Amino acid sequence: MKGAFHVLVIGGGATGAALAHDLTLRGLRVTLVERWEVTAGTTGRHHGLLHSGARYVLTDPDSARECIEENWILRRIAPDAFELNDGLFVALTDEDVTYLDPFLEGCARCGIPTRVLSREHTLRLEPNLNPTLKLAVQVPDGTMDAMRLPLRFLATAQHHGAEIRPFTEVVDIHFQGRTVAGARVRDHRTEREYTIAADVVINATGPWAGQIAQMAGVDVPIRPSPGVLVAVEGRLCNMVINRLHPAGDGDIIVPQRRLSIVGTSSWVVEDPDDLDVPEAHVRMMIDLGALLIPTLREMPVRAAWAAARPLVGPRTAHSGRELSRTFKCFDHADEGVEGLVTIIGGKASTARAMAEVTTDIVCAKLGITAPCRTREVVLLPHTAYYAG
Amino acid sequence: MTEQRTVQFRVFRYKQGRERPWYDTFDVTVTPRTTVLEALQFIRRVHDPSLMLRHSCHHASCGTCGMRINGQERLACITRVHDIAGERVTVEPLANLPIIGDLVVDMKAFYAKFTPMAMPLIRHSEFLPEAEPPEGVDTYTRLENCIECGLCVSVCPVAASDPLYLGPAALAAAWRVVQEPRGQNVPEILAQVDTAHGCWRCHIAMECSAVCPSHVDPGAAIMALRGTLIRQHLPWRRKQQGGDAHEPR
Amino acid sequence: MNRGELVPRRRWPAWFDVRGRHVSGWAFILNRLTGLGLVLYLIIHLWVLRLLTQGEARWNAFIALAKTPPFLVLDTILFFGIIYHALNGIRLTLVGLGIGVSAHKRMFWVLMGIGLVLFVLSTWGLWTMTK
Repeated sequence: MKGAFHVLVIGGGATGAALAHDLTLRGLRVTLVERWEVTAGTTGRHHGLLHSGARYVLTDPDSARECIEENWILRRIAPDAFELNDGLFVALTDEDVTYLDPFLEGCARCGIPTRVLSREHTLRLEPNLNPTLKLAVQVPDGTMDAMRLPLRFLATAQHHGAEIRPFTEVVDIHFQGRTVAGARVRDHRTEREYTIAADVVINATGPWAGQIAQMAGVDVPIRPSPGVLVAVEGRLCNMVINRLHPAGDGDIIVPQRRLSIVGTSSWVVEDPDDLDVPEAHVRMMIDLGALLIPTLREMPVRAAWAAARPLVGPRTAHSGRELSRTFKCFDHADEGVEGLVTIIGGKASTARAMAEVTTDIVCAKLGITAPCRTREVVLLPHTAYYAG
Repeated sequence: MTEQRTVQFRVFRYKQGRERPWYDTFDVTVTPRTTVLEALQFIRRVHDPSLMLRHSCHHASCGTCGMRINGQERLACITRVHDIAGERVTVEPLANLPIIGDLVVDMKAFYAKFTPMAMPLIRHSEFLPEAEPPEGVDTYTRLENCIECGLCVSVCPVAASDPLYLGPAALAAAWRVVQEPRGQNVPEILAQVDTAHGCWRCHIAMECSAVCPSHVDPGAAIMALRGTLIRQHLPWRRKQQGGDAHEPR
Repeated sequence: MNRGELVPRRRWPAWFDVRGRHVSGWAFILNRLTGLGLVLYLIIHLWVLRLLTQGEARWNAFIALAKTPPFLVLDTILFFGIIYHALNGIRLTLVGLGIGVSAHKRMFWVLMGIGLVLFVLSTWGLWTMTK
């Protein structure tokens, strides 16, 4: 490893974790810093959906294609990490049924396998669903553990020599001339500040990407877009339940462990640190979720929380729904700042692909030709991250 | 509904290189819905960004935010400040694990004991037994109950006095493998818990089961392991199996 | 914000940290304390029995002393320890063998009910019969 290029990854979420994994596999020396515990930002807080992509076929086919491709890869590289019970898109009204044909065509175009199920058949699979449903479509959705999947990337990266430093906050970007040459960090464990020198710095801080970019004097079109999620006691379904219509509020129920998680709402904020959980959104989640599974309304609420999506979009965006769920990688050399790359957008299901694209860009900058191997390398179990 | 009140948070602090831990006290305005985790995030954001705590899922599914709140092991994300008696809330890290800083403990020893127990993560789903699985799915599965939060290890009086004790979480994981092997080597797992620091070390204080936020009931699991091992060790059973009951088949 | 209140050093073993404990945890702590007490009693008891080798007069003098109220108070505490440790021990033996695990709390209270009756009767006997 001596003499290899050193890459500093900022951000210990799903993206940073997958990046550390990809970079180490290509022979780079990697240090990852995270100001809190790993996965404490957006990553850990998502509903735990392993996307089939079907959620985006009507509005965002690029994102849908990414999802289904990653879905198959993740099943291969992270065995025994998912509840592979598939998902349903449920048509509740005649209006929902009008989306059936475009939905099926969209899925076919994106390579997402589907199976149309009658009302009776659907209710045999999921007896708690609203009995007035019209029909449903089965897709290869799944459930993941939002924290433990990224931990597997981190564990594998660490095993291959990556240095993971949680509770280490970037306080400034370190420049040599106009070139980014590392970062000044503060270790909250020891209260000490020091500089980490690096050949390339990757900003993988999701909704916080704007703040890091600002330290380097560049701008990224990040729109932190929070959503409220509500977990109720009781596993009311085994499959992932979606509403068959263009993605909107409160239209997905993800079973997880002994809980059922309803999501989500969507708005846009400036500061992703200060997330409110509006009571009205919590009530809306329960009301809309109960359209799909009526008993949901009677279950005690286990928790309600908010997470900020790291969406790519213009500053004029206001609800977040109109923004694409795909990702975008920026080489700031294009703006005259060499040595800094930012990756934003995307989702936990596509973190590996985000890392692949970003690592390709970094490798091209450094003249490294090693191909990406993250589609094949099976990840270590999550426990290896802490157990070492 | 939005009746606010101010609560004093007395937060355990420790930084590497300092001689002694100390408490910092912060005033936090809370509503009936505010959780301890939200209050600590507020303290970190507004008063002291160097406050270290672990959190991830915010709905009791990841197990990172385990801590002692007024002396009681709880997950901060599902503990509402209003449900805690008194005007002062003392927050301390979990016991029986080394402290990295402030409210963060080192989970290395925890996972080092958990990992050899075959790390069950996916299990057969017992919910909605009448439901028929869809085409392409053999049987409904789900994630295991245990969220590896360490509350059981923190509250366990035996873990407090025997650092080699495998502890409630690891033993409960072992019992899950016995119940549902999913291809794991059950005799090997049983041999690992059949030791003086394994399931026989438990003193049945049952605090683990009382604090578990995730229905694992480690106490009952440890007793079940003992029952299984006792039955295996009965002389006539050993003869029947031809030698050591732990011999892998 | 108020800084600088040092965390006091712990003055007792960690297993004796009683904060946030449930019934079964208290039962464990009490079991260990009574167990330690009974071991101490056994040592004292054997030491006292040594008087038998030193002649009748010394033994009789001790018995007279043992019938004084301060000693009876100690005997009362001893009765409590014996009864608690024995009955809780029955529960732990059963639960430890995998019997009645889910009913361990109910078992505790039933046995403690029995224990209370035994304790009252034995204490009453102790104080009336030694008059």
